[in-house]
Amino acid sequence: MKRKIAKQAASAALFLLISALLLNTVGLALRPVRTDFGAVWKPYLAEPKNSLDYLYLGSSYAYCDVNPCLVYSVSGLTGYVMAGPEQTLSIAYWYLKEALRTQTPKTVLIEASALGFQPYQNYTQINVGYMPAGFNKLRAVFSASEPDLRTGLLFELYFYHSRWKNVSLSEMAQSLLPGKTDTLKGYTSVEGTFNDISDGPFQREDPDEALYAENYAWLCKILELCVKKGIRPVVVFHPTYSRFSPTFYDRVGTDLARDWPDISYCNWSEDLEPSGLNPASDFYDPGHLNQSGATRFSVWLGDFLTSQLSLSPRAQSSDNTAAWRSAASVWTT
Amino acid sequence: MSFLSPSFFLFFPVVVTTYFLLPRQARNLWLLAASWFFYLCAGTAYFAFLLCATLLTYFGARALAARPRKLLLGILLVLLFGALFLFKYLNFAFSLAEHLFTRAGLAFSAPELNLILPIGISFYLFASAGYLIDVYRGRVPAENNFILCALFLSFFPHLLSGPIARADQFLPQLRKPHIFSAARMRSGLLRFLWGAFKKLMLADRLSILVNTVYAAPGSFGALQLIGAAIAFSVQIYCDFSAYSDMALGSAEIMGFRLMENFRTPYFSRSIGEFWRRWHISLSFWFRDYLYIPLGGNRRGTARKYFNVLLVFAVSGLWHGAALTFVVWGLLNGVYQVAGGITAPLRARIRKTVGLGANRPITILWQIFVMFCLSTSAWVFFKAASFEQALTILRGMTSAPLLVRPVLSSMGWDRAEFIVAALSFLLLLWVDVHSLKGSIRERLCTRSMWTWGLATLFLFLTIVIFGVYGTGYNPQDFIYFKF
Repeated sequence: MKRKIAKQAASAALFLLISALLLNTVGLALRPVRTDFGAVWKPYLAEPKNSLDYLYLGSSYAYCDVNPCLVYSVSGLTGYVMAGPEQTLSIAYWYLKEALRTQTPKTVLIEASALGFQPYQNYTQINVGYMPAGFNKLRAVFSASEPDLRTGLLFELYFYHSRWKNVSLSEMAQSLLPGKTDTLKGYTSVEGTFNDISDGPFQREDPDEALYAENYAWLCKILELCVKKGIRPVVVFHPTYSRFSPTFYDRVGTDLARDWPDISYCNWSEDLEPSGLNPASDFYDPGHLNQSGATRFSVWLGDFLTSQLSLSPRAQSSDNTAAWRSAASVWTT
Repeated sequence: MSFLSPSFFLFFPVVVTTYFLLPRQARNLWLLAASWFFYLCAGTAYFAFLLCATLLTYFGARALAARPRKLLLGILLVLLFGALFLFKYLNFAFSLAEHLFTRAGLAFSAPELNLILPIGISFYLFASAGYLIDVYRGRVPAENNFILCALFLSFFPHLLSGPIARADQFLPQLRKPHIFSAARMRSGLLRFLWGAFKKLMLADRLSILVNTVYAAPGSFGALQLIGAAIAFSVQIYCDFSAYSDMALGSAEIMGFRLMENFRTPYFSRSIGEFWRRWHISLSFWFRDYLYIPLGGNRRGTARKYFNVLLVFAVSGLWHGAALTFVVWGLLNGVYQVAGGITAPLRARIRKTVGLGANRPITILWQIFVMFCLSTSAWVFFKAASFEQALTILRGMTSAPLLVRPVLSSMGWDRAEFIVAALSFLLLLWVDVHSLKGSIRERLCTRSMWTWGLATLFLFLTIVIFGVYGTGYNPQDFIYFKF
């Protein structure tokens, strides 16, 4: 009798396991391949373990403005932009937790415009949905995602199953095969120039007290995690023509200085000159740099990281050095 | 909470696991708590009605058992059906009165009542009424255990859309011990999945086409209108039989056997047979508690036909408070009466042309005619108004053949058409083979592998090709609103 029950239980467990595996495989196969515009976990996870010197967190303000290959070309520093579209700080926190499972960066830079974001922005499906399966994703689903998206975030076919009509075999294969490193390193190049830049700088609405407090709490969790892991956190605001009020930037500086006296805070929101940015030609829109702007800013950033933050490149394997050089050459030639 | 909602996929395993882990004495209480929670998820405001109906049924049945008085039964039935009338039909009655008064030249403005319609009310009130009548007739004893009585009405698999429970079949099951059975679990799961297949692969896919055509019937060609009418016949069968399959499958996993509600009704050779194979629990309810008490076929042919028409008119009204439903019901009644009157003539014609009653060609012809008749009746069931139904029926004969682009104008593309066609072929294959016995039983008894492959095939087909998720408008089960 006992043997029969054990056999039945084993059969049921095997059946559930096969079902779950098939479900997961089909979900992955039908999910669109993601290569740019943030949430690019697959190429990130393909980077050799413990090979990155810094990580960049944030939203599109991070992945449009920072090209790690160009930072590498001037500094030798290896880094990655682990950002996502309109990514909130709550999701950024889970991103960092997940990202640190494979990398041990010396510095984490946090582009902090998300301090003014709503608790839920428009791209949770992308930002959380593309996270690797695991506890961090699960916690991001329940702590940083809209309740009505949770079904789809836990069960990806809910979002993507209707793609059976147009998904190609090569796309499915690309989704299922192991990821490879790329030459973007989390960066997304946007082309085009914002013609009405002369009307700016444009004023963004400052977050209200409750929203700021909520976002600041998540920023503190990120900083706390960095400190706990022995990582130097740097909170930055990029040069922009879409600005919060000066009071807001001052307040962030004051709060950070009070709560985290040892971390660096860099408000570059009005500092276009040091990086040589030309408002007339380097902005895609008031908030994002185009490829030309990102090139200037990244080269300047590489210099800043080594000279101001005294960050030095870690030793790399010859293969990885070659890979980074090859990737950088794509952007420098 | 729908059977296909994510919350049900959390709720059901917890309920089943706990049910089998609990000591026998606590199981019915657990099932009642789970069923009430299930109903509360549909809306807290509805729960009070279920509770009132339960209390009325419990105490009413005990009083009837003590002194079976006709007056008491009458009062109890008036209370039950009065509640149904109040919530479901009062607005319809007012609008009908307004229409009649206006035609008579009298001024009467119907008040706009925003009454809620508790979900599943038609199903559990009919179950309750049937039980009270059975107790009055002495066919079943009054249940002394309140938990069992409440569970008879509230058991979550049949609570929202039937099958309408019968006390003599269901109450004894609540007193029996239910031991976990892996075989029953496999069979129930497969049945549940087959229901999900019919709902998500066919019913909801066809609903896109049907709703598009019925929203603007004047914009479509005759063949498209006929296609949409046929599609609705298939849709409503898949939708409602899917719910029944999921209800019966869920109940089977816990060891309960509910009444079969569908037996391949579109393979019927007459409308009478159709109604013995479609929504069986409702058809039998009307037979036992309305048709037979009215005299059935015992008081002459004319009275029999009158009874048939009356039962079908009431059945139409049960489905919805609108003239279109009454017309649909009456039309089915007229078909049956006409079928009865012309039966000798049709038999003579068959004999003249040398066709045996059970020759395959005769059977196929009868099935074809029955399908055409029921499909034309479904037009009234689906249409938003009587006028729209007539527009659709007229369009089937007078509109241009097709309006192009054929598929995309109906809300489909080629891929959807192919998936729907393949799903329909599978449904047809299963229904044809089920005439020789349950395919599910054969699959479950063969081997674990056969069952596993069939289950995985259904599961993967549904999750990949089913109509659900982001970008789709999930269709509630059609019978929820009844």
